[in-house]
Amino acid sequence: MNSQFKKGVLELCVLVLLEKQDLYGYELIKRITEKIEISEGSIYPILRRILKQGLCTSYLQESTEGPSRKYYQLTAEGKAHLHELKAEYRAFTYGVNALMEEEKEVE
Amino acid sequence: MNRDRFMQELRSSLVRLTEAEKDDILRDFQEYFDMGLTEGKTEEEIVAALGSPQQLAKDLQANYHVEQAQAHTSTGNVFRAIWAVIGLGFLNLILVLGPFIAIAAAILALWIAAFSFIIQLAGPVIQLIVGADDFYLFHLFASITIAGIGILLALGMYFVTIYTLRWFVRYLAFNIRIVKGES
Repeated sequence: MNSQFKKGVLELCVLVLLEKQDLYGYELIKRITEKIEISEGSIYPILRRILKQGLCTSYLQESTEGPSRKYYQLTAEGKAHLHELKAEYRAFTYGVNALMEEEKEVE
Repeated sequence: MNRDRFMQELRSSLVRLTEAEKDDILRDFQEYFDMGLTEGKTEEEIVAALGSPQQLAKDLQANYHVEQAQAHTSTGNVFRAIWAVIGLGFLNLILVLGPFIAIAAAILALWIAAFSFIIQLAGPVIQLIVGADDFYLFHLFASITIAGIGILLALGMYFVTIYTLRWFVRYLAFNIRIVKGES
């Protein structure tokens, strides 16, 4: 898919994954890149941005194997923002799908 | 490219950020490398998946400058933010530079108008001082009125400029959120 397309929704993907549980950067990026083809590094600027905006917070946790991990946790503000984004995204994809269905019937 | 090279290039591409900010960014990538290596990936594989350090640096810097401009809307900060967002890619160049030049030109024109309204007062005043033959009081008063309008216009433009800069910074923030750079 055109990369121009993806950037706007990556923020939504990050927030969706953080809704249920706190995740650390590597895990978060792995979950996203399993489904969506993007360069893995490009998630970090998004994470920093939502941290600065107060949509999430981060904390370090020691792990038994390997380095300490920086976990990201959604704030109340982040949850509210996520709900808005979700609603907007659903309305948008519904519209696009409806148009594609209509055009299919015409053919 | 191996890990050290990637980290070096990323650090050297991150100009103008504070040292603390740079360290924090690099820390995240070190963690990422460590995690990847424990999963059995090679440094080269991880570097390839991460994408170009230069493009990452551009993205991170654009974020940083727009935040700075949002926190302190000074002309210098706004210019740095605009410059950083333009650097992200061709589409950003068009979407940012075009409107910016148009708006900046309109604002500049109005400022020049305000200043010329004020400065023209010098003409009749000089005539009054040197006692020129063709001096009319009517000219002086008309000129004072126009200068007054100029001062009001300048005051108005001061606020217009501030609000326009703030609005433009919001537009920049929207731009880096929606419009993708090259990666």
